[in-house]
Amino acid sequence: MWGVLLKRLVQAVATMVIAVLVVFLALRILPVNPVMARFGQHAVPEKIELEMERMGWNKPVWQQALAFGNQLLHGDLGESFARPGERISVRLGEALSATLELTLAAMLIAVPLGIFVGTVAAIWRNSWPDWISMAVALLGVSVPVFFLAICLILAFPSMPTGLRKPPGTPDFHTGFYFFESLVTGNFRMAVVCGRHLALPALALSTIPLAVISRVTRNAMLEVLDADYLRTARAKGAGILRVIARHAMPNASLSVLNIVGFQLGVLLSGAILTEKVFNWPGLGNYVVDGIRDYDYAVVQACALVTAGIFVVLNLTLDILFLLLDPRLREGRQS
Amino acid sequence: MNRALRFSPAFSISCVLFTLVFLPGCGGPAVPSDTLIYGRGGDANDLDPIHTDIGESVKVIVNIFEPLVAYDKETLDLVPGVAESWETSEDGREWTFKLRPGVKFHDETPLNADAVVFTFQRILDPDSPYAFGNVIPYFSNYSQIEKVEAVDDLTVKFTLKQPQATFLPTIAMFSSGIVSPTAVKKYGTEFSRNPVGSGPFKFEYWRPKQEILLSRFEDYWGDKAGVERVVFVPSQESSIRVIQLKRGEIHIADNLPPSDMDSLEGAEGVVVQSTPGINIGYLTMQTQKPPLDQVKVRQAVSHAIDLDRLIDVAYSGHAQKAKTMVPPTLWGHGENVPEHQYDVEKAKALLKEAAKEGGFELPVKLQLFVMDSPRPYMQQPRQTAIYIKDALEKVGFEIEIITNDIGQHFQRMTRGEHQLGLSGWSADIADPHNFLHTLLHSDNINKSGGNNLSQYKNEKVDELLDKAQFELDKGKRAQYYEEAQELIYEDVPVLPLVHVPVRIAERDNVKGYKLHPSSQVRLKSARLEE
Repeated sequence: MWGVLLKRLVQAVATMVIAVLVVFLALRILPVNPVMARFGQHAVPEKIELEMERMGWNKPVWQQALAFGNQLLHGDLGESFARPGERISVRLGEALSATLELTLAAMLIAVPLGIFVGTVAAIWRNSWPDWISMAVALLGVSVPVFFLAICLILAFPSMPTGLRKPPGTPDFHTGFYFFESLVTGNFRMAVVCGRHLALPALALSTIPLAVISRVTRNAMLEVLDADYLRTARAKGAGILRVIARHAMPNASLSVLNIVGFQLGVLLSGAILTEKVFNWPGLGNYVVDGIRDYDYAVVQACALVTAGIFVVLNLTLDILFLLLDPRLREGRQS
Repeated sequence: MNRALRFSPAFSISCVLFTLVFLPGCGGPAVPSDTLIYGRGGDANDLDPIHTDIGESVKVIVNIFEPLVAYDKETLDLVPGVAESWETSEDGREWTFKLRPGVKFHDETPLNADAVVFTFQRILDPDSPYAFGNVIPYFSNYSQIEKVEAVDDLTVKFTLKQPQATFLPTIAMFSSGIVSPTAVKKYGTEFSRNPVGSGPFKFEYWRPKQEILLSRFEDYWGDKAGVERVVFVPSQESSIRVIQLKRGEIHIADNLPPSDMDSLEGAEGVVVQSTPGINIGYLTMQTQKPPLDQVKVRQAVSHAIDLDRLIDVAYSGHAQKAKTMVPPTLWGHGENVPEHQYDVEKAKALLKEAAKEGGFELPVKLQLFVMDSPRPYMQQPRQTAIYIKDALEKVGFEIEIITNDIGQHFQRMTRGEHQLGLSGWSADIADPHNFLHTLLHSDNINKSGGNNLSQYKNEKVDELLDKAQFELDKGKRAQYYEEAQELIYEDVPVLPLVHVPVRIAERDNVKGYKLHPSSQVRLKSARLEE
């Protein structure tokens, strides 16, 4: 088991290095001078080269790559070029915690609801609960998030239209506004932040909800047809018991898989949702970085996104090993 | 059986949260009173006055920092600011400013002659350890300053290389805002995130992409700010900004597309303000590349476009037809320049003639460069481009629209890669020099960052613009600019399209805030009524 994990770990690191390298090269292939891009109509011709030199962008790409690697080894993500004085690590931390809070809230809606809907659909397969829930699932994946977000804003006129907290209210110490106010016992603020969180989370939850319910349904159907379940039913086990004791644990593997994947997708930046609701998360950050040709920012975001997927995959692998005895025994024999 | 309830804790928690959160009115408005919320399309990038040219940064900077000389409350006249008075030497090369006594920065540092010298050293001295970065976007405005010295504690003397008419407006620019030397030394490169000036508002904190909070500076030398706090909130989607304003989540919304503005005009509790902007949206024609090197082809382009129609299509009727590059609200606007003529037949005839002389075939193929995102002077670039394409194709051109993101768009045009291109300019200083010299003097043809995108070179025009720059008599300067504009009209290196008004929408309980013709967002006078 440990051998497998070690192998996965090596693969994971290699994946991250390759991902960052690709982004690094892609940025430098663009026919754009980032200094000119930043200053646009006010670029001072004589100073552009000086600034390129200061940033090290005049050097051959391989030298820049080495310098970047060296910087990373020292644990330094550098400073934003388009927004001087901004430490990328600090800003990335804020963006990541904003995204994390939003993603967790969305998953809190999507996972239980998705599993419930999928299970209902599987039990009453090919009858109206199945049709309704699958129609809803289809709608969930096909309605553009952008459109849905605006509909939600219009449908709930008393809810805040975005941002993480009401403007002008006291600043927080961490990037987790909701959790921070819960932990510090400021429940009034927790409710306020929760209200700000609600609509974006709802908008963001639709796709994972739809995907999870479909996967749950399929996984359940597969299991429900199995011989051992028929035996259990024949021995007089009630439907709830069958679902909870026998079907769910076996179906949970594929559900877990899809939950993990969806979590990765949401964490790597829900660009549209964040844009409509002005959520200062990772998606917004990376889009701004790309727009401003802010090399260091885009590289850092790529690194973090790759990292998120790698960590998630590793976690899933470990969970599978723990949950599925077949995998463990297979390796040991 | 209890395994059947496996998901119920999570489920019930989310149910409780749901009801709690969606319960209307629960939690209530937590916004502290007397806080003005300003909603805009983006976030600032840098709050150090010398390092930014981004409008969203400037909106914040002008409330924190103050230059020596200020704009009048309602006009473009220059009035005393931090400097009480000033005088010029006979030859116009020396300017002496008397500072107001007792002015303090937000960090208690006294604003004296040393602080002023320090501020300008950061711009002028290439080796200054406090400049933080090489590119100072408005550097060329200051290049005529030879030295700045402190005469005594409250007197500063500027010496110019030669007399320059635009000196005083330059001193009134936001980038000339006096900075606290103590704070610059203390924060170093992070001064851009911790600005300290002497303006009516004090910087509190900045959560990127979320909010910038300013509070009233109680020790301000003049009338104190009308609200206790100001929050700048970025809201990227203009349609969301409209909803936020209608619901009262923000007090002021700016930079809205014309159609949204129209819908807000009748909305309950919302007031719309408008002021003519000092800007120009224009079509540049690359005069060094065939076929646009021929004046007849350029004239054909000009006559083919119906500006009234363009304003309807791309500005919902809210723009002013331009006839020269200098807006009519500014002095020095070319009164005698003929009105733009829309004449399809003439355009066709001119193009045919030009084709015969130049030996090229109809239709004439041209590329039109377009930016992907709106600018204040070009609110709907795509619609503008489509209209121009349509109009030009009616007279015998064939237009290919090339869209680039804003950074690439201007880079490729400075390199002269375009034939036709959408461009524009918002005044940095209220002086015709800023339009005519910047956009059409041959000194500003430069592949890495010149703004003469048409690569227009007319020695007579250059000479007139130079003379006007170093002449101090306003009457004479206006005369030179008039002549230059007439020559430019004949050569058609650009087709001036529109001057776009600045419009904002605000809640009706916001009082006292008036848009300034310079389009600077100065919130000192704004008050909130319950």
